[in-house]
Amino acid sequence: MSDWNEENEEDIILADLSDEELVEQMADDLYDGLKEEIEEGTNILLSRDWSPEKVLNEALVAGMTIVGIDFRDGILFVPEVLMAANAMKGGMAILKPLLAETGAKPVGTMVIGTVKGDIHDIGKNLVGMMLEGAGFEVFDIGINSSVEDFFAAMEKHKPDVLGMSALLTTTMPYMKVVIDEMVKRGIRDDYIVLVGGAPLNEEFGAYVGADRYCRDSAEAAAVAVAMVTERRQSSA
Amino acid sequence: MSEKKRRSRSGGRRKKRAAREQGTRKYRPYIERNIPYFEILNEEGLALIEKNADILLEEIGVEFRDFPKALDLFKNAGADIDGECVHFPPGFCREIIQSNAPSEYTQHARNPANNVIIGGRRTVLVPAYGSPFVRDLDKGRRYATIEDFRNFVKLAYMSPNLHHSGGTICEPVDVPVNKRHFDMIYSHIKYSDKPFMGSVTHPKRAEDTVSMAKLVFGETFLEENTVLTSLINANSPLTFDDTMLGAATVYAENNQATMISPFILAGAMSPVTIAGTVTQILAEALAGMAYIQLVKSGAPVIFGTFASAVSMQSGAPTFGTPEPGHVMTIVGALARRLGVPFRSGGGLCASKIPDAQAAYESANTLQASALAGVNFMLHTAGWLEGGLSMGYEKFIMDADQAGMLAVMLEGVDLSENAQAMDAFREIGPGGHFLGASHTQANFESAFYRSELADNNSFEQWEEEGSFDCAMRANLKWKEMLKEYEAPKLDPAIDEALLEFIAKRKSEFEDRDY
Repeated sequence: MSDWNEENEEDIILADLSDEELVEQMADDLYDGLKEEIEEGTNILLSRDWSPEKVLNEALVAGMTIVGIDFRDGILFVPEVLMAANAMKGGMAILKPLLAETGAKPVGTMVIGTVKGDIHDIGKNLVGMMLEGAGFEVFDIGINSSVEDFFAAMEKHKPDVLGMSALLTTTMPYMKVVIDEMVKRGIRDDYIVLVGGAPLNEEFGAYVGADRYCRDSAEAAAVAVAMVTERRQSSA
Repeated sequence: MSEKKRRSRSGGRRKKRAAREQGTRKYRPYIERNIPYFEILNEEGLALIEKNADILLEEIGVEFRDFPKALDLFKNAGADIDGECVHFPPGFCREIIQSNAPSEYTQHARNPANNVIIGGRRTVLVPAYGSPFVRDLDKGRRYATIEDFRNFVKLAYMSPNLHHSGGTICEPVDVPVNKRHFDMIYSHIKYSDKPFMGSVTHPKRAEDTVSMAKLVFGETFLEENTVLTSLINANSPLTFDDTMLGAATVYAENNQATMISPFILAGAMSPVTIAGTVTQILAEALAGMAYIQLVKSGAPVIFGTFASAVSMQSGAPTFGTPEPGHVMTIVGALARRLGVPFRSGGGLCASKIPDAQAAYESANTLQASALAGVNFMLHTAGWLEGGLSMGYEKFIMDADQAGMLAVMLEGVDLSENAQAMDAFREIGPGGHFLGASHTQANFESAFYRSELADNNSFEQWEEEGSFDCAMRANLKWKEMLKEYEAPKLDPAIDEALLEFIAKRKSEFEDRDY
């Protein structure tokens, strides 16, 4: 394998590639978690007068979609997806100010946290990472998050999606406390609410009043992208 | 942290998919043990068993039926002969074995990369042996055919967790009894390049096996090297018969290995206690292995043991129960004291189908075998129904367990990298290790990754068809057979083998005995 890398792959000059070849190469580089190459590719496309939105959707998000599929299918492993998401973040850091200038929205925004009483965050972190990989801007408010913490973050960031996580059967009912409060204050329908965690299932997601229960991080990313896209289309 | 190294391109999705298909573990031709042996008797207990075995050998004796050659050899060596019964002076067999038998030996495969060392701290995992029936989810239970035989040879060849092609992997009943050994040996040679076992059902068939091995390895190679390891059962209690002795003699004379295996259904073929059963096993194995050394000094022998407890309620053999596990553990210690390789264990079960009973009985025996220090683990994969049936799905399930045994026996890495101190320094309290450099560098080979177990979320499992383990194994063996490619075989050798088989088959009538 290493021989193969050195002889055939190492010498690729990204700037010499056509747009089409470059986008293809960036998909491979995202897949291989190569942050510097992704940053370079992003800058090259921008210098060729691609709009930031086009770079985001056609080069980065398309590449990360493949990563998501192969993670789901057991081809890519968690540490590799982390590297891919990290490479994606490198590209996003360049695009973000440009997107803001043009008024274009990112794929979506999300506030995510582990609910009150629960300090488990590996699953939540993986979801955040997958969402970032999918082009989302993610505001992670951490563990042990109260109703007040969630509301403060929603107020501040105005996200498309609220994500709540729990690992314990004794803490998962707190999701309903948060959602009930959202209903009470008349803001429930302003957000897509996704919930997840090992002891949950679809029925529980419906019971607490979430829009969807997501079984794992790959599905959370796919669902979030689909639901935000759908909502934007229907309100457009 | 040192300066961050720029990651290199590895070919994206196409290359990764291909690499993951191949798996991450390197194929090793056998397991090198790096954990202690599990032993349950102390010196006093083991010495007691040895003393009692000596008493059995002297006072009761062992019968060598219809086989005067054995009586002559033992008589000349100083044993007392009474009719067909041989009475051995105390320490007689032990002395012969310890001064002549090798403590370990190499069994050569036609692909030298697959040579196995049998004995010492190694474990060689081998498919199940001898079932008349086969079973799979599609066609249920039926008599085995030569096609089934070939299929299992192919599956064992493809399994990275099995080190040996086995012997009578299932009994091909569609081929006449007196000629099926040709087809079985040919299948092992043609469809695999792992080592294999010889025919033992008649001395002539053992000779045919040796002749075929010579065609593959060369006439003179066998004089100095072992290329066959074959199963010789005692007719417990305390009896050997002429068929087994005849085959054993052929192999020993040709410097080929035999495993002398008391086959014990405890309670019927030995006393109902663990201590009584291990005493008998030791006595029988000592007598058989001493015979081999008298035939040819230095011919490799394995101390074999197969023990099952008979249900006192119904008379049926049982598997995966605690007492035969103890028997195996004790016999392992006895074999090490004697200084010869040890064969036992496997994925034994009484269940008819690859269900929960099959899984836990097999897990009980597989783990006990590994801990006991088995060197040659016959019956590792495929065993169902007390050995009456060879299961396709069960084979895949057991082969997966076999992979875990290898990791278990390899023990614990204490290298600087394995100590992972860098990872702690990088992550500190409260973070997670999934993105740590240490994890990035080590995750691929970090933990045993089953190809069969489903660890996905309930929802994903349900979406993918709610398959249980046997259903997943069913898909797996079919996929393997579809992807099978035969190892290269020199066309001249292939032709010579086929010519030999055609000639020999034409020399006598088909017979079913």
